[in-house]
Amino acid sequence: MTVDEKLISRLEKLAKLDLTTSEKEKLRKELDDILKMVDKLEELDTDGVDPLIYVLEENNVWRKDRVQGQIKREETFKNAPDSDGEHFKVPKVIDIKK
Amino acid sequence: MSARDKYETVIGLEVHVQLNTASKAFCSDSTLFGAEANTQVSPISLGHPGTLPVVNEEQIAKAVKLGLALGCEINPHSSFDRKNYFYADLPKGYQITQDRSPICIGGALKIKIDEAFKSIRIHHIHMEEDAGKSIHDTDGAYSLIDLNRAGVPLLEIVSEPDLRSAEEVDAFMSGMRQLVRWLDVSDGNMEQGSMRCDVNVSIRLKGEEEFGTRCEIKNVNSMRYARRAIAYEVGRQVDIIEKGGSIEQQTLNFDPDTGTTTPLRDKEDAHDYRYFPEPDMPPIRLSDGYIQAVKDGMVRLPWELYEDFTEKLGLSDYDASLLTEEVEVAKYFLGLQHLSQQTKASANLIINKILPYCKDKQLALFDFPVASENLVEFLDIIRTGKVSNAMAYQRIFPEMTEQPDRSPLEIAKDLNLLQSSDTSFLEELIEGILADNPDKVKVYRNGKKGLLGFFMGELMKKSKGKADPKVANKLLREKLEA
Repeated sequence: MTVDEKLISRLEKLAKLDLTTSEKEKLRKELDDILKMVDKLEELDTDGVDPLIYVLEENNVWRKDRVQGQIKREETFKNAPDSDGEHFKVPKVIDIKK
Repeated sequence: MSARDKYETVIGLEVHVQLNTASKAFCSDSTLFGAEANTQVSPISLGHPGTLPVVNEEQIAKAVKLGLALGCEINPHSSFDRKNYFYADLPKGYQITQDRSPICIGGALKIKIDEAFKSIRIHHIHMEEDAGKSIHDTDGAYSLIDLNRAGVPLLEIVSEPDLRSAEEVDAFMSGMRQLVRWLDVSDGNMEQGSMRCDVNVSIRLKGEEEFGTRCEIKNVNSMRYARRAIAYEVGRQVDIIEKGGSIEQQTLNFDPDTGTTTPLRDKEDAHDYRYFPEPDMPPIRLSDGYIQAVKDGMVRLPWELYEDFTEKLGLSDYDASLLTEEVEVAKYFLGLQHLSQQTKASANLIINKILPYCKDKQLALFDFPVASENLVEFLDIIRTGKVSNAMAYQRIFPEMTEQPDRSPLEIAKDLNLLQSSDTSFLEELIEGILADNPDKVKVYRNGKKGLLGFFMGELMKKSKGKADPKVANKLLREKLEA
């Protein structure tokens, strides 16, 4: 797989980024290098080897079904760019959903 | 034959069920419905950097419970994935879901269509979290976001494309609602959004094996809408194919105001969710011991009890269906039936009196005020003929609900409703009736035996409903045929 201009533009859109031409070129090179490294790894014979998804061997870290740790409204909106004191306010979104 | 009749409708469902846990899926915010906006949130549900989700153990138990009830295979190795997309009510920029290894695989739900059973296969059930709520219509330039619902645990039940009509969809959703309520997994409330479904619809010529291209109708939140959306969508697809066109795979939105479906997003925005394993949560390993423990804690299933009620207890299909609609009702019935040793009478009392009373007063069945001993006595005085069935139902029952601690026998005495099987008292009344109606006696004696009903009626009137019908009937015949 080669990382070309088209792929970068698609990723830019999916990640909702706004990149300059030089940033795009920089990213294209970096991603290309990463994929080359992955290609190199693929030379290894991994038949019969389970993929390693989780590095830690821990399983079943569960919690009790108890209500706690909720925060106050003024804290809730502290980092929000905009709010009406009850809701987060965002530029109108109506169409594209999931 | 209209064009539509040539085609068969094929439907698969994705049912979202909101679990009735106290706290959210991956953090400890409350899940209560109807709270003020943004009061049930925390740094985790707000998606702040550096926060760590932790699985709610109840969510796992409830998923396993539903899976066992539907005959699914419980996946011993399941795990979470991230589904990436941007939307204002999804603060993290991804939804935690299960893409590679869902918690339940396979299974089926039996539905009843035209007196016959049909098995609808389940593809899988996976766990995921809900998004927040967007409000678009109150502020001109802005959308308002409430994140109380963000992170509430959901199960998504994905069916195989085994459904063939809106009626079957209805039956499937009703059956699923009954089951999740029965198992105490969800309140199944469609109005509050605790249960909603996406409907995948395609059509094919009857007899054709290949499936047609399907369209997905999103977020259908009532059965009435589902019915209309399916009818509209089938019509739309038939029209396209009849005109020689082909169906494009699309995601559609159903608009209840116009009754039509419209594309939800442009093709160029075709979703690319870039799923990858959720690195913040270790996998879920379910041992046989864990699964067995969940199984041991489960109540018997509605269809198992239905079979018992009809086959072992001899109840009618109607009675058994009513008594197995809700687990509380089934339990209540079994309790009363056990104490009174009367099956049909217990069923009648619950169906005809107790349930309507509770519905009227908006009471939960277990808050019905009359103690079970008194209900048993009530059934007993009917069985032993001390009070007629009609009098007991019409007069004594209402009195019992007013005075729940009083014995029904006492009430019967007070209201002067005890039936008389005292033969001399009845004989006297009968003599009087025969003397008053010599013509009718003659007609009866000439062979018109149907008049017995008239004499019984008179006797009941004269005795003010207290004549024991069996004794009275026998005495009447004796006197008339003397």
